[in-house]
Amino acid sequence: MTSAASTTAEARSPGLSYQQLLETDTRPVPDVLRWQARAEIPVVQVPIERYTARAFHDLEVEKLWRKVWQMACREEEIPEVGDHVVYEIADDSLIVMRSAPGEIRAYHNVCLHRGRMLRDCDGRAEELRCPFHGWTWSLDGALKRIPAQWDFPHVERERFHLPEAKVGTWGGFVFVNLDPACAPLADHLGELPRHFEAWPLEQRYKEVHVAKRLPCNWKVAQEAFMEAYHVGGTHPQLLPGIGDVNSQYDVWGNFSRAITANMTPSPLLQAAPSEQEMLDSMLSRSLDEEPMLRVPEGMTARQTLAMTSRLQLQASVASVNDVSDAELADSFYYTVFPNFHPWGAYNRIVYRFRPAGSDPDRCIMEVMYLAPFRGRRPKPAPVHWLGDDDDWTQAPELGFLARVFNQDTFNLGRVQRGLHAARHSHVTFARYQETKIRHFHALLEAQLAR
Amino acid sequence: MKLRHPFSRAIYESQEDGLVRVEEEGGRVGLFHLDGRWHSGELRDADPHLIGWVGGPQLGGRTATNRIPAMPGAATTPPRPTTTVPKPPTPAAGADPNRRTTSMDLGLRGRKAIVTAATRGIGLAIARLLADEGVDLALCARGAAGLEAARKELEARGVRVFTKALDVGDGDALRGFVREAAEALGGLDLLVCNASGGAGMGEKAWQANFDVDVLHSVRAVEAALPSLTSSDAASVVFISSTAALEYLGVPQAYNAMKAALIAHANDLSQALAPKGVRVNVVSPGPIYFDGGNWEMIKKAMPAIYERALGQCALGRMGTPEEVARSVVFLASPAASYVTGANLVVDGGFTKRVAY
Repeated sequence: MTSAASTTAEARSPGLSYQQLLETDTRPVPDVLRWQARAEIPVVQVPIERYTARAFHDLEVEKLWRKVWQMACREEEIPEVGDHVVYEIADDSLIVMRSAPGEIRAYHNVCLHRGRMLRDCDGRAEELRCPFHGWTWSLDGALKRIPAQWDFPHVERERFHLPEAKVGTWGGFVFVNLDPACAPLADHLGELPRHFEAWPLEQRYKEVHVAKRLPCNWKVAQEAFMEAYHVGGTHPQLLPGIGDVNSQYDVWGNFSRAITANMTPSPLLQAAPSEQEMLDSMLSRSLDEEPMLRVPEGMTARQTLAMTSRLQLQASVASVNDVSDAELADSFYYTVFPNFHPWGAYNRIVYRFRPAGSDPDRCIMEVMYLAPFRGRRPKPAPVHWLGDDDDWTQAPELGFLARVFNQDTFNLGRVQRGLHAARHSHVTFARYQETKIRHFHALLEAQLAR
Repeated sequence: MKLRHPFSRAIYESQEDGLVRVEEEGGRVGLFHLDGRWHSGELRDADPHLIGWVGGPQLGGRTATNRIPAMPGAATTPPRPTTTVPKPPTPAAGADPNRRTTSMDLGLRGRKAIVTAATRGIGLAIARLLADEGVDLALCARGAAGLEAARKELEARGVRVFTKALDVGDGDALRGFVREAAEALGGLDLLVCNASGGAGMGEKAWQANFDVDVLHSVRAVEAALPSLTSSDAASVVFISSTAALEYLGVPQAYNAMKAALIAHANDLSQALAPKGVRVNVVSPGPIYFDGGNWEMIKKAMPAIYERALGQCALGRMGTPEEVARSVVFLASPAASYVTGANLVVDGGFTKRVAY
């Protein structure tokens, strides 16, 4: 693993570095948290049309969404033969199908007769029968039946096999690629599986899945979740207990990672908060309330939080006593190009951002929580779609993060609006703290130039 | 909720009326809407993100119990109930973003409801609670002034309110109102038939109770049915009375007509179930509020008042809000499997065994 070739020319926050913070841990810290990797990324500005222009969206469809590996669903959502998820990306639609035991295929969700979508929604099917005239395919994609077959002497069965997309799996996720000539998924993921060795996501179950359409470009939305620089402006209440501007950012191949420490004060604060104030800020305690949890004498807020998390995870994580404070307290947010955001350690969050149809001003944001479990695998949560006017607290299963998402979402539509109103030509990124976004755009530029 | 801004050091505090109060260290104070717009006060600019955080819906904050407004007039109500409102669930702990809250979502946000006779007492309490749950309202009553006051108050709770002054005993006027209401609100999910002809003696009372208590409910359902059947959460609640259930000391049209209403609700619950419309009844016992019947009885016939009070097993009369909570629950998608029920809300006033 490449390690800290730290380019000394880069300015960093004067606050405590993440690597320094790791020295205070009460348990051994896994190597993955020590790994660092910088890359020279020339992109510091990108044109605003990238977020607003229909032409750019069309280019993304052709060169990105129809060419790149993308997360379609969880394997646990399609356990039985015939189970399928309808995965939609821009105007394309796929049936991601458990076609046989141990086999998953993805079919373009279009009848080869007159073009109706074969499946309207997720479900289980014994065969794929078009609701319009009844043309039917078997689960392996072979044309099985045409009503009034005598009328179609010109239809050769072997040429009417359902077109397929490529399928790959990792971490309990099913990935698809619409390009039949694409390289394998493993090439795309690169070293990512090594990062998740300590936290195998295939051994989690999807406990929460909430989806909502947002009035902004999909990149505007996901870029709001790729840095901690916005915390001071957007989530000021978190500052006493979050290492925002001293977060650590690294990039490897097609993925990047941010680490934001919790239970450490923001370097932006003028006065150092007490350990109790750090904990209260994370637990969102009101000034006129008793603390929900007290930092015991001789302990730090960080240790207190880790201790509480260990208790909560006892039932589901076997060796939780050996898990480091860092893995229980901090945020490790990965971005796998182009739109898949699994979090490391025990944060459990996974985000996915997609365009909604062909409108560059609309996107779909999804939040999943992947929870550890012991014993029998619990059933995965179905998608909970929020209405366009609902706020995130309409999904109480999100817990306290719903309110944090409300603060983020408060900005997003106004960002999109502002980008349309802009007289300047480019958005400008921070050199270090917006590393992940710059890395994404460098990959996007390379992808679109192919 | 009350927090100090980490940069400006100003105190942000949510207010009962849904605004957020911001006080700077220098003493300047401003009130702000949840989206950050200034409302009033000397301080005119504050951080919208912290306003949203402090004033935004708490987790579980949309459950009915947490959003009951302070009861107007409750302070002067003699047998003031000790608060029966359960504490809202504690917001989920930050350490575990997965922790589920125990809140029960009534599923009412964005729904549309008609409430008849909604300018006072139980009807107004129902309208207020529905508004707090985010339900758009169509209200009718006889007095235009009362309707206007109710409309102003309810619109301030952030919902659309359509009103029309009419006598619900007038079939054509009532049917017209229901049609216009569904049109104005863009659909209809809930219908609460709350109007009553009141107590009285003689044939005039029989006619009034038949026209208002019974026929207005029958007609309102008929007129609302085309809209209700297009809803995915259609529900009707009739307001009956414990007077229909036990002998009250005087034979009255009110009692018999309220009983008819329960029987008709049962018929409708069976007949409309295939169309996805639930029909239930709430039968309140003695409900005390300023300007209500029991206030009058207390002044004019203290012996009757005392006897009724003595009969309430809970030792007090009920409040309109306590009836409203039952009505709103039964009307809501949270009661999706309840139909044909008669929920008695009487603090133990009736003594029969309700099998």
